[in-house]
Amino acid sequence: MVEMIDAKLADSLKARAASGDVSVLRSPEFRSLFDQIKTLPADERAAYGQAVNQLRQEIETTLAAHAEKAEALPPIDVTAPMDVNASMPGFIPTQNGSKHPLMRELETVLDIFYRMGFHAVESPELDDDYHMFSALNFPEDHPARDDYDTFMTTQTDQKGKPFIAPAHTSTMQNRVLQRYRDDLEKGEPIACVIPGRVFRNEDLDARHEHTFYQLEGIYVGQGVHTGMLIATLKTFLQEYYGKELNVKTQPFYFPFTEPSFEFALSCPFCDGKGCHVCSQSGWIELLGCGMIHPNVLRHAGIDPEKYTGFAWGGGIERLVMMKYGIEDIRHFESGKLDFLRQFS
Amino acid sequence: MKITLNAIKQFTDVDLSIEELVGKIGSQLGEVEHVEALGEKYRGVVVARVVSCEDHPNADRLHVCTVDDGGTTPDVTRNEDGHVQVVCGAPNVREGLMVAWLPPGSTVPESVGKEPFVLEARELRGVVSNGMLASQRELALGDNHEGILEIDQPAEPGQAFADVYLLDDYVIEIENKMFTHRPDCFGILGVAREIAGITGKQFVSPDWYQPSPGVIDASADLRLEITNELPELVPRFSAITMSDVSLRPSPVWLQVFLAKLGQKSINNVVDLTNFYMLVTGQPLHAYDYDKVRALSGGDTAKLVVRNPRAGEKIKLLNGKEIEPRAEAIMIATDQKAIGIGGVMGGAETEIDENTKNIILEAATFDMYSIRRTSMAHGLFTDAVTRFNKGQSPLQTLAVLAQIVADVVDLAEAKVASQLIDINSADGREWVHPPVTVTTAFVNERLGSSLGAEDMRTLLTNVEFAVEIESDSLRFTAPFWRTDIELREDVVEEIGRLYGYDRLPLELPKRSIRPVAKDESFEKKAALRNALSRAGANETLTYSFVHGNLLDKVGQDTEESFRLSNALSPDLQYYRLSLTPSLLEKIHTNIKAGYDDFALFELGKVHGRSEVDEAGLPNEFDRLAFVVAADAKSSGRSGTGAAFYRARFYAEEVIENLSLKLRPLKDTAPESNRLTAQMLAPYEPGRSAAIVDGSRIVGVIGEFKRSVTKALKLPEYCGGFEVFMSAAQPRSVGYQPLSRFPSVTQDITLRTPSAKSYREVEAALAEAILAAKPDGTTISVEPLGIYQQSTDDPRNISLRIVVVHHSRTLTDNEVSQLLDHAAATLRQQLGVERV
Repeated sequence: MVEMIDAKLADSLKARAASGDVSVLRSPEFRSLFDQIKTLPADERAAYGQAVNQLRQEIETTLAAHAEKAEALPPIDVTAPMDVNASMPGFIPTQNGSKHPLMRELETVLDIFYRMGFHAVESPELDDDYHMFSALNFPEDHPARDDYDTFMTTQTDQKGKPFIAPAHTSTMQNRVLQRYRDDLEKGEPIACVIPGRVFRNEDLDARHEHTFYQLEGIYVGQGVHTGMLIATLKTFLQEYYGKELNVKTQPFYFPFTEPSFEFALSCPFCDGKGCHVCSQSGWIELLGCGMIHPNVLRHAGIDPEKYTGFAWGGGIERLVMMKYGIEDIRHFESGKLDFLRQFS
Repeated sequence: MKITLNAIKQFTDVDLSIEELVGKIGSQLGEVEHVEALGEKYRGVVVARVVSCEDHPNADRLHVCTVDDGGTTPDVTRNEDGHVQVVCGAPNVREGLMVAWLPPGSTVPESVGKEPFVLEARELRGVVSNGMLASQRELALGDNHEGILEIDQPAEPGQAFADVYLLDDYVIEIENKMFTHRPDCFGILGVAREIAGITGKQFVSPDWYQPSPGVIDASADLRLEITNELPELVPRFSAITMSDVSLRPSPVWLQVFLAKLGQKSINNVVDLTNFYMLVTGQPLHAYDYDKVRALSGGDTAKLVVRNPRAGEKIKLLNGKEIEPRAEAIMIATDQKAIGIGGVMGGAETEIDENTKNIILEAATFDMYSIRRTSMAHGLFTDAVTRFNKGQSPLQTLAVLAQIVADVVDLAEAKVASQLIDINSADGREWVHPPVTVTTAFVNERLGSSLGAEDMRTLLTNVEFAVEIESDSLRFTAPFWRTDIELREDVVEEIGRLYGYDRLPLELPKRSIRPVAKDESFEKKAALRNALSRAGANETLTYSFVHGNLLDKVGQDTEESFRLSNALSPDLQYYRLSLTPSLLEKIHTNIKAGYDDFALFELGKVHGRSEVDEAGLPNEFDRLAFVVAADAKSSGRSGTGAAFYRARFYAEEVIENLSLKLRPLKDTAPESNRLTAQMLAPYEPGRSAAIVDGSRIVGVIGEFKRSVTKALKLPEYCGGFEVFMSAAQPRSVGYQPLSRFPSVTQDITLRTPSAKSYREVEAALAEAILAAKPDGTTISVEPLGIYQQSTDDPRNISLRIVVVHHSRTLTDNEVSQLLDHAAATLRQQLGVERV
């Protein structure tokens, strides 16, 4: 296309641009290119117009790059530990530093589960439909999928399905079960917790975030039963809050557990008497859980006749918000130092 | 799913208090979202008879009535007959009518829970009205406000109005999610059965609720033909015609029933279809027979179940016209589509005030197909909610027979055709075969110690057939339970009906073998510790960013995974590196008054060029850090370019950093597309690549002018980003202590501007190492770099500390060592000792 323009003229215009001459686009030489359009036969005009535009873009890019370079501060010796005529850099006072409250809490939670004998592994932030749904016994087009408002990508996996921003840490269940499957044969249970960042297509408000953290737990072995599920969660929560608690379950439905529950604990802040944290109910609903569905075990190559297990998942934000009385969930990802430095 | 306590009591006894019942439902059926005590609303509403009704002397539309309340209402002015005067504007008020009277002091039910309106005795155009006579709307029992409610069943003056229509009731809303696999619990009958089950009562379904009810007596006046072209998707299609239907408002009890559950009353026939749907979970549809026949070829009404024809459109009951998806289940005549089966009826065959003859349909549709159609067109109806859970095809006849009997009763209609029942369900297992389990299987999974008899009772209470054979139980699910397939399904039923909260708690036993901690979490914790201890603030930012941000920092949106259903453009792309997200947080914090701060984040990045063999996106853990200070600030520690401060921080978390730095401007363009995105915001002349061999694993530097401008960064701003695999908090390196004193000497080297600090320092270290006395340890520390003006040679000052481990060194020995080193440097680099 560009050949339609006089090569010498084009080169000289480009050279001016390269030297940072910002007037080049307004120059009579460049404008003359437009004047030529009229002189051309009608069927060539479109192509010529395109060529001129292409040249204009090229010149603009060159000018922008030049401006960037011209404005840039002079190069420095990056191998040196300090600038010339300057003192050695120092740290910001240590009392200003902080760990993010969510991560700090996650460390506390992980520490308890390590002590209880659980491994830990992180869940991914971009996954496929198989791990989000199919491996977890969600049939195609099952209404249970409606409860997970998942973000999806325009890009697709090998099966032509969009990738998924996981809406729960359960995406790791299948992988973890497979990874530790051999331990079962050795008589060791599979015990693992899976923290991770998850996403729900939800509008933001003080109590709802589209991005949040969950902690999943899995325990599989011989003779594992529902009473152990409840006892394990109760033990964890008592350790976490450092006091005796009551717990209760509500039947629920998840395709990947059977039976499924919502799990509630007596409010540790008012000992079940009713306060603003538990909305005066005396109870706090904290997580979903259940006995792992035999199909999920089978998907991971584990014989559900021989082994049974339980799984649970709950949010981290809730714990932290209750602990410190944080009023708005949106603070967590706000990057505001007003918020962060309170955890110094 | 909404139920009312009184509706439940039609099917089973409930002898618990409402609090106990709600608690029991919560722990053994599903979460109770809301309980509304209706009785409160109707406290004080009294049945009264209109004894007299005369025109108001001063107002055309008002009437002055006296009502008889049986003398029960206290503190109200009565005439000599003991009746009470009430002014009423309703056109239908007349002598002899039984009405709902709101006496002075009572609250209008409609206003309860909003802004309570308390009645009093007050003058209306000069005539005292003692309270008012209430319309349906004022009673919160529907929309009707054209006249007052006329009590249409036996009642006595003075009786509590609530008693007449069972309004001393509770509406209990149970979360739908729990019933995802329980189609039967989308009907009051199903919930009543479960309530019986969890309260330990034997439930008995009503006689009419059975797969093969009695034959309906029929003439054959209105002919109907049905063809089902989609037997796979429509296992059952049952219909019947009825003639001479009197359409009119439903009796009050039916309107009240619907109002309690939040359904609008339309007319007696439509209300009955809704009533049976609410009771059984089986959606029903009523067509105008004559409209269907008019749209059919010939004299016979014809219904055809089929897919849509190419380009076929349909106008629905909600007034919208849509072109259904190609796989939708259409109900059509032989000529044209008249409804989307199981989703929504069509406008053209809707019953209206002129309807004389009707077709009643009870069918079963494939749950997955219904869901797809519903999602594709955004049609969410009560029928969809029920069909997409998988209703049993074995209940259509029972429900149809029952509604036909009621339409005969309430609309004086006649059955006008044989029942037509296209049953494609035969030979398919709608209810799974019986499940056999041992008591051990159940007890092992629940941790319980229930006996076979206990288990049998729990499930026969909810109408399972259970046979015991030694320690095995064989469970046959009733016809409405399409969900009982696996032994685990039976375990769930037993556990739930028994009560999970009654199970003995026991912790799993484990060996004392220590658990290996996760390396990645441990590393993150260590990095977090190191940087927060150094005054930086750990930050979390979203994994999704705006395309603009990628543009602003010179990253390529094409490399980024893009969300197809983002909440807003702010969150459309998976981020390609962490630094831009942190840079975005700098300006607001400076504006908030922070003049010297550092933020860091441990997070993940993805790029479209990075997928594994299975086609799944690879995920990379990264650590990013930014430091910024307000130009106006005097308080910041350290002077000079921000690069050096970022680098100083990086030393804390990257081992041997100085050996890994290469000026970014001298680094070949990065071929790895995702790594190239990480480098994009950094200004090459003021940044260094962090390398591991030939691979770039990170970058430290300041940012391009375009980035600084676009993100309103302060002049003093730098940062680094590194793959987590290349980060490692500084480890402890111990040197044995010497008993002998060390010797310290400084050296200043005049260095040509073309030579880098690193070259000088490395050459010096090497020269010293080569010549150092045996048994010594030597450290070289920078003291300062001085330059008069740009392009002048720089004076690099270093401090050398030498210690011998077995004797005292003399200053002279060290001087000689430095002299030697200086000579070597002059030769090698043209560096002069000052």
